[in-house]
Amino acid sequence: MTGLRILAEARWPGTGLTGPDRLPPVPGFAASTFNPLVAETAERCLRARHGSAPAPGRTALLLASAGGDRAIARAIDEAAASGRRVPPLLFFQSNPNAVLGHIAARWGLTGPVVAISPAGARPGSVPQDALDHAALLLADGDADHVLVIAAEQADPPGAADATGAGTDRAVAVLVTSA
Amino acid sequence: MTGHAPPAVRPVITGIGVLSAAGTGLDALAEAAAHGKAAFGPVTRFDVSARRTTRAALLPEPVPLADAVLAAVDQACRQARLPAAGNPGLPVLLALHSDLRTRAVTDAVAAGATAAWGTAGVTRVYTGACVAAGTAVADAAALVAAGRHPRVLVAAGHLVEPGVFAAFDAGRALARDGELRPFSAGRTGTLLGDAAAAVLVEAEPDAGRRGAPVLARLAGWGRAGDAHHVCRPEPDGAGAVRAVGAALARAGLAPAEIGYVNANGTGSPLADRAEASALRRVFGRHAERLPVSSSKAVHGHALEASALLELAVTVAALRDGRLPVNAGWLGPDPDVGLDLVLDGPRTARPRYALTLNSAFGGANTALLVAAR
Repeated sequence: MTGLRILAEARWPGTGLTGPDRLPPVPGFAASTFNPLVAETAERCLRARHGSAPAPGRTALLLASAGGDRAIARAIDEAAASGRRVPPLLFFQSNPNAVLGHIAARWGLTGPVVAISPAGARPGSVPQDALDHAALLLADGDADHVLVIAAEQADPPGAADATGAGTDRAVAVLVTSA
Repeated sequence: MTGHAPPAVRPVITGIGVLSAAGTGLDALAEAAAHGKAAFGPVTRFDVSARRTTRAALLPEPVPLADAVLAAVDQACRQARLPAAGNPGLPVLLALHSDLRTRAVTDAVAAGATAAWGTAGVTRVYTGACVAAGTAVADAAALVAAGRHPRVLVAAGHLVEPGVFAAFDAGRALARDGELRPFSAGRTGTLLGDAAAAVLVEAEPDAGRRGAPVLARLAGWGRAGDAHHVCRPEPDGAGAVRAVGAALARAGLAPAEIGYVNANGTGSPLADRAEASALRRVFGRHAERLPVSSSKAVHGHALEASALLELAVTVAALRDGRLPVNAGWLGPDPDVGLDLVLDGPRTARPRYALTLNSAFGGANTALLVAAR
């Protein structure tokens, strides 16, 4: 990871025996595991570094997801096609920034808020595109730290099987300039 | 490095492409903006009979999203006199909505740009809502200013479609009266708009060596968060203040040197008030005579493409000496307190202009444009 120093790392599912085995719900977010996946992985990473909120300095949030929130995207498309009224909670979940606002508000993160969709991202690993972008934000001076969250929802959502192949996976790394 | 010093290499804009409800090309959009000619009409592309709001700003002729983006790319690259089929190292930054079609649209844009302009595909896809394209432009400027690339192509597209329209309608984000009235008393929300846009950002020396036309200079840029809420802006616009501050510092300018602001101005009661507060905090007494308008009043809210479309409008305003009109005005909101451009064409020759964008998650971007 040229030019970056990792300050903390966290994963979902976790590798230890501590912590919940189900994603904790996020108030106001419904109908998809994507936002709880992002929020919990970010929370674990920030806690590992800072213990408790707020985080010092300017921290950017960078969400990288090739698939995005497919459960919400499908729910919106299906509701619109049926002619039914779309549940209002889907409004702010229709873009990936909303959950980043939840994390930023909780931890006092005042850096840039960015979402990207790297092609061919491997679930459970941080795409090179996201690391390159984090390095650019740091070098350009708008942030002191970048919390990179790489999250991929099982497809179809909720299709976890016995091998774990269909599991929602995310990894978060808090980085700064080397 | 954590500062915002002016860069050694100055990024300039050498090509702009636009498709909007005002028509094809930047000139059509600039003309509509200068006269405050709003492009909203009834949505006929899909059934809106069950929605509270039934209006949007649509392209005159329906075009698939990837084709619209590629048409804008073609305009920008031709204007910049880029050699066709010879740009394998040219990064392409693309801003799109995140949905089930994002990958397919990206692949189609990548294939088209490779075929027409010899690029190596799409380098990065930005999906961060209404600052997606603003972030992409800031990143392009940073890459050029740091000497990482001689030029970067930024493209974006948003077409009004049933899902997002229904979601925004359900969230009561759309104007109940079918008009987008930024900063006005009685504003009731935003209206969506179709747009595709592309901008070539280039290092000034490289543009000079190629003999490319310099349309404007990207003098500064900034990105910052509110740290406040999932979808509501911080009431005093704290993140926007920081983003503008970063843009001013990179440009090496004082607030009083800014001569026009193309505001985010979505027509949302809360967001417009927060943005007005941010502008008053940044500009102080200068805000009393600083012309401000939101060109969304003319072309609508193009979501992920909005910042690129509004950058194009801002460059045209500096080029033509005509400021976009803040259309849809009903009367003053005492909480706003800005010098709005209310009728046009308003002639002015500012040297520097800002274009601002804000999004869910408390994201903010500021782009500072210098006349050539």
